[in-house]
Amino acid sequence: MKILILGAGAVGGYWGARLTQTGADVTFLLREKRAELVKRNGLVVKSPKGDFTQKVKVVTKGSEGAPYDLIILACKAYDLPSAMDAIAPAVGANTTIVPILNGHAHFATLDARFGQEKIAGGLARISGMLGPNGEILHSGASGVSFGERDGKPARAALVELDAAGKKGGIDGGLNANINQDLWDKWIMLGAIASMCSAMRGTIGDMMASEDGETIMNEILDECCKVAAAEGFKISEKVVGNVRASLTAKGAKTVASILGDMEKGGAVEAHQIVGDMLGRARKHGIAAPNLRFAYAHLQTYEARRARDGLKK
Amino acid sequence: MKILILGAGAIGGYVGGRLQQSGSDVTFLVRPARQQAIARDGLVIKSTKGDIAQKVKTVTKGSEGGPYDIVLLTCKAYDLDSAIEAIAPAVGSDTTVVPLLNGMRHLDVLDAKFGKEKVVGGLARVGVAMSPEGTILHTSPFAAISFGERDGQAPRAALQELDAAIKKSIVDGGLHAKIVQDLWDKWIMLCSLAATNCLMRGSSGDILEADEGRAIVMETVDECQKVAAAAGHDPGDKGMQTIRGFLTVKGSKFTASMLHDLEKGAMVEADHIVGDMIARGRKAGVATPNLRIAYAHLQVYLTRRARAV
Repeated sequence: MKILILGAGAVGGYWGARLTQTGADVTFLLREKRAELVKRNGLVVKSPKGDFTQKVKVVTKGSEGAPYDLIILACKAYDLPSAMDAIAPAVGANTTIVPILNGHAHFATLDARFGQEKIAGGLARISGMLGPNGEILHSGASGVSFGERDGKPARAALVELDAAGKKGGIDGGLNANINQDLWDKWIMLGAIASMCSAMRGTIGDMMASEDGETIMNEILDECCKVAAAEGFKISEKVVGNVRASLTAKGAKTVASILGDMEKGGAVEAHQIVGDMLGRARKHGIAAPNLRFAYAHLQTYEARRARDGLKK
Repeated sequence: MKILILGAGAIGGYVGGRLQQSGSDVTFLVRPARQQAIARDGLVIKSTKGDIAQKVKTVTKGSEGGPYDIVLLTCKAYDLDSAIEAIAPAVGSDTTVVPLLNGMRHLDVLDAKFGKEKVVGGLARVGVAMSPEGTILHTSPFAAISFGERDGQAPRAALQELDAAIKKSIVDGGLHAKIVQDLWDKWIMLCSLAATNCLMRGSSGDILEADEGRAIVMETVDECQKVAAAAGHDPGDKGMQTIRGFLTVKGSKFTASMLHDLEKGAMVEADHIVGDMIARGRKAGVATPNLRIAYAHLQVYLTRRARAV
């Protein structure tokens, strides 16, 4: 099975390097500059599970080596249009695309472009970032989850991806209920991204304010109500775990969106928060805290467009 | 009439400098380092209404040069305790304290310390800042202070004299018959502006670009108005129209000074401007959900600031 991974960031890079290690046929589709670097140095991974450098196959055009059996698409929502253009030549009649994006909004876009039958569901719980020299700084969690969105038995490509991942020490894998898992992740992300951005602090900073814990609990409840109304009730166990981690006193936990904002970068405001709020509205669910958070993010975007947030 | 001004910072320095320029007997109560700088350079004001550098009287202890008829208090709310300590020796039996702080809570603190009869109402509308070298930079077209008796009675002699001194100077304003209402009007405006600008981290114009930005600003203003009304100080339709108009100018780059402070990592008057409005709302049974989240934002900022120091 030929796998193409778009980009070699923390998620795609780590996952792809591990797959390659086990002998899977993985190719990375990269921009010229990144391609040069990776061709020269290989993928350099620093990980609590052991550092390693992995030589990998690299292309700079989707048409090279096309078609692929499976394409892993890990990009930010605001880069989705250019990402789709990049992979389009790599997509053949029997290609499966596994998008690893936050939220749900990307499915409609991908379905419309490539056809619903090609698009599986997927998410990653790989935490990490790129270092100054393009090395992948993996910081712990290394889980992925993917599966058929219609709940039918998984197609061969997904079964193979699951097997390769398990061999490479990737946690998780094929998930019979990927839609639920996407919601499980989204409610957590919706709450933490909203709060870290709108409050501009860590979980611990918020818990030190008078109403911080109350507001965090409220916003998590708002997200859970939306999930339930969409047909994906979050289990008590999942909510309990999320609630515990989002209200942990003194926690230095912070959503990556805050780091992006403090650098003046682009944010997935609509994908993570706006779309959740829109669905709340659709179902008549009051979501006052999501509303504040989305207004905060939109104000940020307006200001970013106005003055580039120069310091 | 002898006037003592605590500090020679932006507002105190500007107002005091202008009063002295027009012949008032003004003394500045300052720290030793500021006293030395003023002795060397004079009190330097660069202003849209004309630059001046003049010799002024300074003391470093409230006990020096008194007793004073008027003490003008222009500190930040979070410095109120140390300010009270500094001026206490300068307050005699016939002294009138004129605080020029935003909000209301300082009045209770001052009443408790000096006695209600010594403390009048006052506020400043001066767009002024201080440079790192200690020059007072007055860049806006306005500079006014107003003051008056809080019980609405005829003003005492000291306030009438202060009024005459202000009118003689190029500072606008003076005696105000309804100073408490004026304080509430300004507080509503400031609280709404600071709460929304800080919560959203943007100018009023930026906030209006968000789908619900305008609604959130309007709700916040309503919350403040209800708190004021519960205290018997509803600004009325005309007053509210001015406040709402000011906060909803499309494209406005205007921001609350609290947002500047936030982005500089400086101290902010969170409790005084926003927290106290919430507390008064709670006491009166007025819900303030927008202020609540803005206050949480400010508290998170202060926690983070304390953590960073």
